[in-house]
Amino acid sequence: MSTVIFFIAAIGAITGAIGVIVLANPFYSVLALVGHLISLAALFLLLRAEFVAAAQVIVYAGAVMVLYVFVVSYVGNDASPVGQGPSRAATLGAFACGIALVVELFIAVLGSGLQAIGTDGAPYAVGFGTPEAIGKLLLTRFLAPFEIASYLLLVAAVGAVTLARRRHGLDEGVEGDPPTVSVMDLLRPRPVGTGTMAEAGGRVEVGEP
Amino acid sequence: MILALDSYFEPWWIQIIKSLLIFGVALGILPLIIVYERKLLGRFQGRYGPNRVGPFGLLQPLAEIVKFATKEDSRPVTSIGPLYLAAPVISILTAVAAFALVPFGDVTNVFGTRVGLYGIDPSIGPLYVFAFGAIAFYGLMLGGWASGSKYSFLGAMRAAAQLISYEVSQGLALVGVIITAGSLSLTAIVHAQGGMWYFIPQCVGFLVFTIASFAETNRSPFDLIEADAELVAGYFTEYGGTRMVAFLFAEYLNMMVVSGIAVTLFLGGWLLPFGIHPPTWVDPFVVLAKMMVFISFFIWIRATLPRLRYDQLMSFGWKILLPLAMANTLVTAIIVVAVHK
Repeated sequence: MSTVIFFIAAIGAITGAIGVIVLANPFYSVLALVGHLISLAALFLLLRAEFVAAAQVIVYAGAVMVLYVFVVSYVGNDASPVGQGPSRAATLGAFACGIALVVELFIAVLGSGLQAIGTDGAPYAVGFGTPEAIGKLLLTRFLAPFEIASYLLLVAAVGAVTLARRRHGLDEGVEGDPPTVSVMDLLRPRPVGTGTMAEAGGRVEVGEP
Repeated sequence: MILALDSYFEPWWIQIIKSLLIFGVALGILPLIIVYERKLLGRFQGRYGPNRVGPFGLLQPLAEIVKFATKEDSRPVTSIGPLYLAAPVISILTAVAAFALVPFGDVTNVFGTRVGLYGIDPSIGPLYVFAFGAIAFYGLMLGGWASGSKYSFLGAMRAAAQLISYEVSQGLALVGVIITAGSLSLTAIVHAQGGMWYFIPQCVGFLVFTIASFAETNRSPFDLIEADAELVAGYFTEYGGTRMVAFLFAEYLNMMVVSGIAVTLFLGGWLLPFGIHPPTWVDPFVVLAKMMVFISFFIWIRATLPRLRYDQLMSFGWKILLPLAMANTLVTAIIVVAVHK
């Protein structure tokens, strides 16, 4: 049973990964990536990592890929290839990087992975992969990486909001004179119950028709 | 089995029977809810509602299903075949899968074997529903995109923005309950509500969850995804016949799932107040009755509130609901730590 599921999920993951780079239409590429991520979640489930599987589907397939689909279906709605094709140097560089990656993976697999095939793997500890066990690990052994990663995300979020606010047309400013904004601008009060359309990128003055 | 944990104690045939039962109950109760909604909406608006087919108009949904099933199977020439066909299937499969989580009772003895009156009780609890909700989104998105129509496309785009925005608040609103109960297992959360149902200590979480659920299930006043006045029907404008019914069923099924989660996490599940302990076979009916109360609330709101404007929807979700949910989580965590010290 688990072998069958493993092969279905593994084939799905590999097909999805190949589809991402082979398909010409970016929308289908994104869909292939979604298929790949869901297959990975199934593989995580086989390894009894239930929380990681759920997080994978919710965060990657659910939130991140939705944004990808959102952007791609707005921008790249036709089957035209992305860009004008890479230059010769970029192609050679990509080829070299690919070969280096393959060699590295082979070293890893031949060096350690093959030895593990003959064994049954690590024994299953009760509670492994549950949210409780992962929470304990995150707040004890991996506290520092966890906190650093969360600060990184916070910085990225604040940076994104600040950049979006600086876009032309969002603030009153003289033509040609880019308005300066600070983080405190985000907290500017506004009459209760009115919208600004700021999220949509435009601006509707309150009180005007 | 791959998931042979302590909680998966049932023999395989019980699991198959339970799967069939959940599918049957879920799809059997939906027509009733649809006719109930139409009757209730009629009463709210000072008219009778459907009353021609069968006694009290109860057979109206059957007549409509026959009508839809016999319609011509058409689709626009601009649509993209496989994706157009797959979208309703994704919608309804994920909705039924999410419904498996709703517990209708505790583990009981049925014909000599121990059976949990729920589909599954995984260690990740409500995250299971959110995972299927994340996949269900692709039903809407693909339906809207593959139809090859502007109305459908706009509906799908609105769905993308709205579902992401409100999923965060909906999830965070549940964290307070999980912290208070100290468990993610839904049956354990129901047992933890023996003293007091969580909608009293977690009233802010309950409020945020309810509002976010309206948005997640595309119900009025957050039904911008299918706003009939502007987008005809949003992502399923180009669908007809049984495929459109599949989308509608998925929507109502999602409403039932959300009601079931709300009943389980905030309204005490199968428990009754004032120390009443009915026999075990009553439990599923208690849960169903509570779900119907919650669904009636959904319908009441639909009959009362007008639709929001899009910028109001986004501002409300990100600037009011999300901070409220976060504050609720923080305050709950502080109180729980302070009390348990």
